[in-house]
Amino acid sequence: MTFTETISSLLPISGPIADFIGGAVASLLIISFLMSLVAVSGIWGKRKITAAFTDRIAVNRHGPFGLLIIVADAVRLLSKELIVPDGVDRPAWDLGPLVMTSSALLGFAVIPMGDLFGLNLQIADPQAGLAYVFATASIASVGLVMAGYSSNNKYSMLGGLRAVAQNLAYEIPLVVTGVSVVLFAGSLQLSEIVAAQGETLVSLGGVAIPSWYAFVNPFAFILFMIANLAEVGRNPFDVPEAPTEIVAGWQTEYSSVYFVLCYLSEFIHIFLGGAIIATIFLGGPAGPFLPGFVWMVIKILGVYLFTQWCRSAIPRVRIDQLIEIGWKGLLELSFANLVLTAVIVGLL
Amino acid sequence: MSLEEPSTPELDTGETLEGVDYDALESLLGEYAIGRESHVNAEAFVVRPDEVQAALELLRDEAGFDHCSCVTAQEYEDRYESIYHLRKYDDPTQEVGVVVPTTKDDPVSESANEVYRTADWHEREAYDLVGIEYDDHPDLRRILLPETWQGHPLSLDYDQEQPQVVEFAEHANPLREDHAADAQSDTMFLNIGPHHPATHGVLHLKTTLDGETVADVESDIGYLHRCEEQICQNGTYRHQIMPYPDRWDYISAGILNEWAYARAAEDMADIDVPEYAQVIRTMSAEMCRIASHMLAVATFALDIYGDFTAIFMYAMRDREVMQNLLEDLTGQRLMFNYLRLGGVAWDLPEPREEFFEQTRDFLDELPGKLEEFHDMITSNEIFQLRCVNTGVLDPETAKSYGATGPVARGSGVDYDIRRDDPYGYYDELDWDVVTEDGCDNYSRVLVRMREVEESAKIIEQCVDLLEEWPEDERNIQSNVPRTLKPDADTEIYRSVEGAKGELGIYMRADGTDKPARFKIRSPCFSNLQTLPEMSQGEYIPDLIASLGSLDIVLGEVDR
Amino acid sequence: MGTTMKHALGGETFTVEYPEETPEVSPRFRGVHKFSQERCIWCRQCENVCPNDTIQIVTDDQRNGEQYNLHIGQCIYCRLCEEVCPVDAILLTQNFEFTGDTKDDLAYNMEQLKNVPWYKDIDPLASREPDRSGWVGEGEGEVDYQ
Repeated sequence: MTFTETISSLLPISGPIADFIGGAVASLLIISFLMSLVAVSGIWGKRKITAAFTDRIAVNRHGPFGLLIIVADAVRLLSKELIVPDGVDRPAWDLGPLVMTSSALLGFAVIPMGDLFGLNLQIADPQAGLAYVFATASIASVGLVMAGYSSNNKYSMLGGLRAVAQNLAYEIPLVVTGVSVVLFAGSLQLSEIVAAQGETLVSLGGVAIPSWYAFVNPFAFILFMIANLAEVGRNPFDVPEAPTEIVAGWQTEYSSVYFVLCYLSEFIHIFLGGAIIATIFLGGPAGPFLPGFVWMVIKILGVYLFTQWCRSAIPRVRIDQLIEIGWKGLLELSFANLVLTAVIVGLL
Repeated sequence: MSLEEPSTPELDTGETLEGVDYDALESLLGEYAIGRESHVNAEAFVVRPDEVQAALELLRDEAGFDHCSCVTAQEYEDRYESIYHLRKYDDPTQEVGVVVPTTKDDPVSESANEVYRTADWHEREAYDLVGIEYDDHPDLRRILLPETWQGHPLSLDYDQEQPQVVEFAEHANPLREDHAADAQSDTMFLNIGPHHPATHGVLHLKTTLDGETVADVESDIGYLHRCEEQICQNGTYRHQIMPYPDRWDYISAGILNEWAYARAAEDMADIDVPEYAQVIRTMSAEMCRIASHMLAVATFALDIYGDFTAIFMYAMRDREVMQNLLEDLTGQRLMFNYLRLGGVAWDLPEPREEFFEQTRDFLDELPGKLEEFHDMITSNEIFQLRCVNTGVLDPETAKSYGATGPVARGSGVDYDIRRDDPYGYYDELDWDVVTEDGCDNYSRVLVRMREVEESAKIIEQCVDLLEEWPEDERNIQSNVPRTLKPDADTEIYRSVEGAKGELGIYMRADGTDKPARFKIRSPCFSNLQTLPEMSQGEYIPDLIASLGSLDIVLGEVDR
Repeated sequence: MGTTMKHALGGETFTVEYPEETPEVSPRFRGVHKFSQERCIWCRQCENVCPNDTIQIVTDDQRNGEQYNLHIGQCIYCRLCEEVCPVDAILLTQNFEFTGDTKDDLAYNMEQLKNVPWYKDIDPLASREPDRSGWVGEGEGEVDYQ
């Protein structure tokens, strides 16, 4: 039973209206959770993590451990003046951040977030779940182009164009690597994929190592991690923003609430990337002792930590090198991986 | 210099084993030389304003003066004068000046741009500040002051009170060019700066892009022009000039800059410096060099990595140690004002042992820290991918643009004033000049990192010397008159190896206690000129990387 | 990457939590000036040596001091005034903490200069005393007392 069905079954009515209300409430809960996750890890966690890597202290004046910086930052960002530059293409400029944020949020509709107090927190579990996630996540690049092109700023435009080039170069390896997992699991349905990883791979001294696909096919896992870094635009692949080169790329002209939306979309994208990785490679919400939901969040944050680590330690590649890595390196490797997987799965 | 060098090297015309034979140079110049002047640093030949190119070409091709170090322009009561300070990359002690006088009513002189590419900006500056016009100059515009400026501030009849009222409409609109561009054109005009995260100050790069490729780049400088030359012309030799060199290259290279002035003024007024003070100077100058190179590496990493990443903070942390030491020694963290004519302001801080111990601690930890930097920067594959073979500056171009310092040494030009034209205590110490033949961004970073090691070596030897220095011979200043008045018409051009390259000072005395002309030869100014050569045809990120690898400080470029 | 992780786990920081933990300032540090009217002989050497005319002294016709003004926002902290002062009447304390709402707030007059506090109660004169001998006499040149 999915989260939506659980909620609608609690309602005194049934039928499409109940389904709708159930879906809305479920989404609202998940979105609120994601927002608070972004607030904690994006505003406070990011500072602390970066500071740890760079031998600094970071925020510690606002409340315990500086946690109240979240409130301060929210007030600061939301109360700033929204500056609309001269000559922006208004509808596209307004829609850009919305498209980006919503595309990332949509992806979470099908992610199996695990159990909490006996509740299954997956909002929906369609047959083509994985395809859906990839599809929604890619809508973001449309938002990037809209933002970059409509800002009437050359830096934004360069950023927008870079974003498209980058997403084209990395989307394909990402999806193809994802498909190799589908071959193993034999299903696109995310709950099925998670379930398929539940079996024990090997038992070492009584400790059962589950057949997570990260263990079954580490090669695909590494490929996917790299492609995912590019997909969410983090170092070494943060060329669409590239602060030292093109100022802030596509988000140069955004301020105030729109900037918050851009910021939000970036972090939710990282989390979505983390959720996809957790789901298809790390056994989803599986894990000992703790509830599945907690494990899921831990895994997502683990991927987030990895992106932040890369950010403080790896140089950014040049746009042409990035595209070269994408088309000449990752694409070939991901197809090789796919063929190999197909052969192995066929033989088994 | 390679080992196969013949024992009697082939000498250029006018070169003897002892130095320069000016009589031979005079006969080489023949009728081009219409007069001869004697400056403290070298002889100078007077050349007619319409024969500059021919004379300079002779000196470059026949006599081997391949380095146009500086172009100084000044106005006398009866004439304008441009002085080309020439020297050799192989041996900078061999110097010659070329003096080009022009009349007051028609201050036009031939441009040296054809012979030395570096003259391009130097002559623009001369035009801007003094008002001499140069024939055949490809692009004679103002360089430091705004294009709408009225008058030439260093000319004698300049009215400082004259208000510079410029209507907004008269200002050059940086966007106009863009709109005027042909709609069919494939290129895009992009202003990088004046406010941009990677310009290391207020620098404006007018870039023409073809896609992401840089088709053309032109630097627009002068945003940080603070009339430093004029400030120095209004200060007394003895005290008032010394605080200002700290503010030229303000990125912790203060003592190196002060030394440039100290060296020129001491040679001009014939002041001796006690040996003990020379050792302290050498040590503190190398501390500044380490601090400055640390920052250069840090900001370069910042340009490549793209965020305030670990490397930046680690380099800051190590620079901090150096700055604390310098604070103990000089009393200030950046604006040291530590050197005095004839010595230094203070002896080492008491207790001396503590200072030595702290210095040694830093030196002991340095190899480990540099190892860390090599781990994170130079041995990183992506970093190499970004830096190797980008921003290539071949040695010939570097020489022609007058590039010096790590930029020249990264192009394999073995040129270091500390060794080639020794001053201070450098010739008594054991250290090496670092060169790399890669000519690219990567070599320039490597040169800086290896120079930090060499500086550490120098500091270590200085500390050894200072520790054993007999207590009664610790003389930090020689006896210098309270008011210095060098003889009128004494002219000198002297340079030291600053953090960014050859930092030269030209001074002319007029018999008072203030210099009549004070000209700063800023290494960054010449180095920045090479940027178009390095970045044309490359991508924007490479342009940014090249700019970072030049390690310019806009305070020194604009003065 | 390994190096950065090592630093992250090392947990050491090198930054200083400023207001709670004030940095160790060298006794030679040059901060805001402190003026002593008892010592001053109004010889005006500091005013003459100041490279950017930050010090302004007003005396009456008997050369008795009336005003001593110093714009601590304009000052470049070169310490030349302290260096030339024959009686240690003007000293640079280690105090680097000064604020003002406007530039005018930083134009200190004699009273304000007298009231500048010592930083952590360090009198810099003691630490600088050994170096007084390093300051050289008049030499052969012209002596420019008035």
